This record gives sequence, structure tokens and C-alpha cells, in this order.
Amino acid sequence: MSLDQKKYLHKLHMNKIKVIICQIFLIVSFLFLWEYLVNKGIISSFIYSSPSRVIKTIKELIESHNFFNHIYITLKEVFISFTLGISLGFIIALILYEFKFLAKVIDPFLTMLNSLPKVALGPLIIIACGANIKSIILMALLINLIVSIITIYNGFLGTDEYILKLFKTLGASRFQILTKLVIPSSYQTIIASFKLGIAQTLIGVIMGEFLVSKEGIGYLIVYGKQVFNLNYVMTGIILLGIISYILYKLIIILENKLLKHL
Amino acid sequence: MNNLLEINNISKNYHTKNGEIEAIKNISFKIKKGEIISIVGPSGCGKSTLLSIISELDHDYFGKIIKDNNLKIAYMLQSDALLPWLTIYENAILGLKIKKRLDNETLDYVNYLFDFYNLSEFKESYPKNLSGGMRQRVALIRTLALKPDLLLLDEPFSALDQQSRLLISDDVYKIVKKEKKTVILVTHNIEEAVSFSDRVIVLSKRPSQIKNIININFTNQESIYERRKEKYYHQYFDTIWKDLDINES
Ligand SMILES: Nc1ncnc2c1ncn2[C@@H]1O[C@H](COP(=O)(O)OP(=O)(O)OP(=O)(O)O)[C@@H](O)[C@H]1O
Ligand SMILES: [Mg+2]
Repeated sequence: MSLDQKKYLHKLHMNKIKVIICQIFLIVSFLFLWEYLVNKGIISSFIYSSPSRVIKTIKELIESHNFFNHIYITLKEVFISFTLGISLGFIIALILYEFKFLAKVIDPFLTMLNSLPKVALGPLIIIACGANIKSIILMALLINLIVSIITIYNGFLGTDEYILKLFKTLGASRFQILTKLVIPSSYQTIIASFKLGIAQTLIGVIMGEFLVSKEGIGYLIVYGKQVFNLNYVMTGIILLGIISYILYKLIIILENKLLKHL
Repeated sequence: MNNLLEINNISKNYHTKNGEIEAIKNISFKIKKGEIISIVGPSGCGKSTLLSIISELDHDYFGKIIKDNNLKIAYMLQSDALLPWLTIYENAILGLKIKKRLDNETLDYVNYLFDFYNLSEFKESYPKNLSGGMRQRVALIRTLALKPDLLLLDEPFSALDQQSRLLISDDVYKIVKKEKKTVILVTHNIEEAVSFSDRVIVLSKRPSQIKNIININFTNQESIYERRKEKYYHQYFDTIWKDLDINES
């Protein structure tokens, strides 16, 4: 390796470290400022809680044995709704791609469903499915499914026309065209739909937990509001922030693995 | 019958929302085994349409095509159409795989072609790491691997720079001659048409008809570089140039 190349790599590395240092600095100073403002009484500790109160709340929750359960419940619901949403979205997109006539027919309905505010369906869902995990998953599905279908379907439609023509000249069957061309060439869009889907799923699950109000992080937040202990609310929000970051990162890792060669 | 393919009175109209487009009209020609034919004509006159019909991609036309039922036709497009997520080698055997013709014999032939084009060391690379010329060679290997009787080439070199274009068309010429393949080449490049083929068909603009057929009588049958030095080369060039030019005005 030449000296210049070494220098270049070193610079790249240093840059990365600098970014991380700045990010840690931002978080730490934010936490300090928050604690300081609350302690000095400049902002209300009742409404805004404080880092030390959040830590105390977490301790309390762990001691009363339901902290990890709430996280586990929320993650479980996210996992189920996300997997369901993505797989159903994929299958429906495939069906629409194979049957263009059907796609044309249901197009306006998809658009309508997509822009409908799904919270409005909350009361209906609760009454139909009962106050349980089914309602939560249905709520999350309503929110993430339509987006998955539309994104993945558009990915399929974006298949390179020249390569499609090549497959036809080779006499490929419809099944071969799907498995060897249309699906692999949509990997990128499919991953993009994962990214959209995970955010949408979290929204749906928390909305569902608000409605069902039994367990999970969404429940913690509603419960905190009801008993006027806003420490719970703040703890819930911070947990959600951390969870959504980690889930997003996991998808990025998956993306880097799958799309190495593109 | 010593004709590999006989095209009789082929016409094709496209129907669109905005009306009917007469693409080609009453085109007839014959091609013998081992012959190389070039088709030249103004942009949008229907050259690709004609190849689509011959390759049976398009069944919606008037007229008749006479050929052996077992005739193996391969079609090579302007774009190399390599799949970016497959290695060069996997791309090269894609056609064999789709047609379920992967066996020792066909694979040996693919390996031979890789050696012939000096691409063996790139087998495990991905398309994005190759130059345009190399990618086009891989597309060519993918096409030749099917051992087609008739090779349809639709401006296969037009995306390349001048130098790669010359090198690769010479490569193609050599292998086509060596294996006595029958070829129909569509090109915009008159020099390419003259140096490459035994016959040049000049099409008129839409609705496109055969304007002229020029037989190219060169003694050299080995290299397009040598063919370009032949005595009547420029004469042929001028004839085709005039035929095309009259069409434009
Ligand atoms: N699928 C289609 N639907 C409607 N019109 C078409 C279609 N394909 C081609 N055409 C029209 O038919 C005519 C001939 O097209 P074609 O692609 O065969 O021309 P070409 O000679 O190959 O052109 P170029 O030199 O630009 O490659 C053009 O005017 C084109 O607009
Ligand atoms: Mg064309």
C-alpha cells in the first residue's frame, strides 16, 4: 500500500471517529442540559421528567417485573406485523404483477385505502377483534400493508425492459421470468419497502396499544397519562426512539449483506 | 432447399391509441446457411421490428416466414442486458440454464469461449467491474453458448466506443466465420455493414420497404480490417450512402 493510500484511509477513519465523538457529545450535553433545566426549576419536572427520573422509573419498572415484558410484547407485535405485512405485500404485489388487469381494477381502491387515516378504523377494529393482540396486529397491518404492496409492485414494474426482452427471446417461462429476473431485480425496492415498513409498523403497533391498553410500551405511555405520572410517558418515548433506531440499523445491515454486488 | 430462412411479403402495423403505424411493408428476402446479411435503414424504419418477427417474439404480422421448425435462433440486443447480481460466468450460462441445456458439452463450449475472448480470469467478477467492451463480449458468449443456427444482432456494438467497437466486431466476425454461423446484423454504421457482410439490405423510411440489396464481393473472408482495404470497399460505401441519403430527403 502506498503512503498516500495509507494517509487517505487514515483520514477516512479519523473522520468516522470525529462524527461519533460529536454524536456522543450531543447526546451527553442534551441529557445534562435537560437535567439542569429541570433541577433549576426552569422547566417543569412534572411535565418533562428528567434523565434521572427516567432512570429511576426504569428501575422501578424492572423491580415491579414488567419492564422487559412490555418491551418484549411491543417487539413481538412489531415482529409479527412486520413479517406479515412484508410477506403479504410481496405476495399481493406478485399477483398484481402477473394479472395486470386485476391491478388496473383495484388501483383506485388501493389509493383510497392508502390515504385513509387508519386511526379512524380503531373503534371498529376493537369491537370486531376484541381488546387483544389481534387488534394491534390488524391495526399495524392496515398501516404497513398498502405501502408494502405499492412499493414492491412498483419495483416489479421497474424491471429492465431490455433484459425482459432477452428472457423472452430465450423462451423463458413466466415462472422463470419471475424468479430469475423480476424478483431479484427488485431486491433494492424490496429493502426500501422494509425501511418504510418498519417505521409504519411501529406507528401501527403503538396506535394499537393505545387502543387496547393492556401491555406494551404504548400501554406504558397511556397508563402514565392516565395516572398523571409523566415519567412513564417520557420513558416510553425514549424506549421507542432507541427501538426504532435499532430496528432500522438491522435493516441496513441486511441491506448491505443482500445488495453487496449492486 | 438450401435457404435457411425465407421471408415472404412481411408487413407489420402497430396499433396505438394515437393511431396506426405502418412499420414495414412487403419485405421479402432469403438467406442461405453461412451467409451474413446486414440491414441498414433510417432510424425508426422498422429494423428491430423485423428481427422481433424473425425471432418469433412477435407473432402479429402479415406474410409468411419459411424455415425449419428446429431452427435455433438467438437474438442479441443493443444493451448487453447482463444481470448485475450474477457473476460474469453465471450470466454467460443464463441462456443455457433457462433452456435447461446445461451439461458437460455446453459448459465446455462456454469455457472455450471464455478462453477465446480472454475473459477466463474475470469469470467470478460482477458486470459492474467490467468495461463496456468486455460486457458486450460476455453477452456474446451468452448468445453463442446456445449454438444458434441463426444469429440476430440488433446494433450490438452501438453502445461501445469506436475502438472497442472495431475490436469486438472483428472478434465476432472471426468466430462467426469459423463456426459458419448465419447472421443478420442490424446496424447504422455503413462501414460495419460493408466490412461485415455478404449482402447489405437497405430499407427505406416508414412504411419501410426494401430500397436496394447490394452484394459485397470481397476475397478476404477472415478479418474485417483486411476487408476494409479491399478495392471496391469505398464504392460499396458510396452506393449505400446514396441509397440512404435519398431516403432522408
Ligand atoms: N410496441 C410498439 N408500439 C407502437 N409502435 C411501435 C412499437 N415498437 C415500435 N414502434 C414503431 O414502429 C417503428 C419501427 O420501430 P423499430 O424499433 O422497429 O425501428 P428501428 O428501425 O429498429 O429503429 P432504430 O434505428 O431507432 O433502432 C417506429 O416508428 C416505432 O415508433
Ligand atoms: Mg432498433
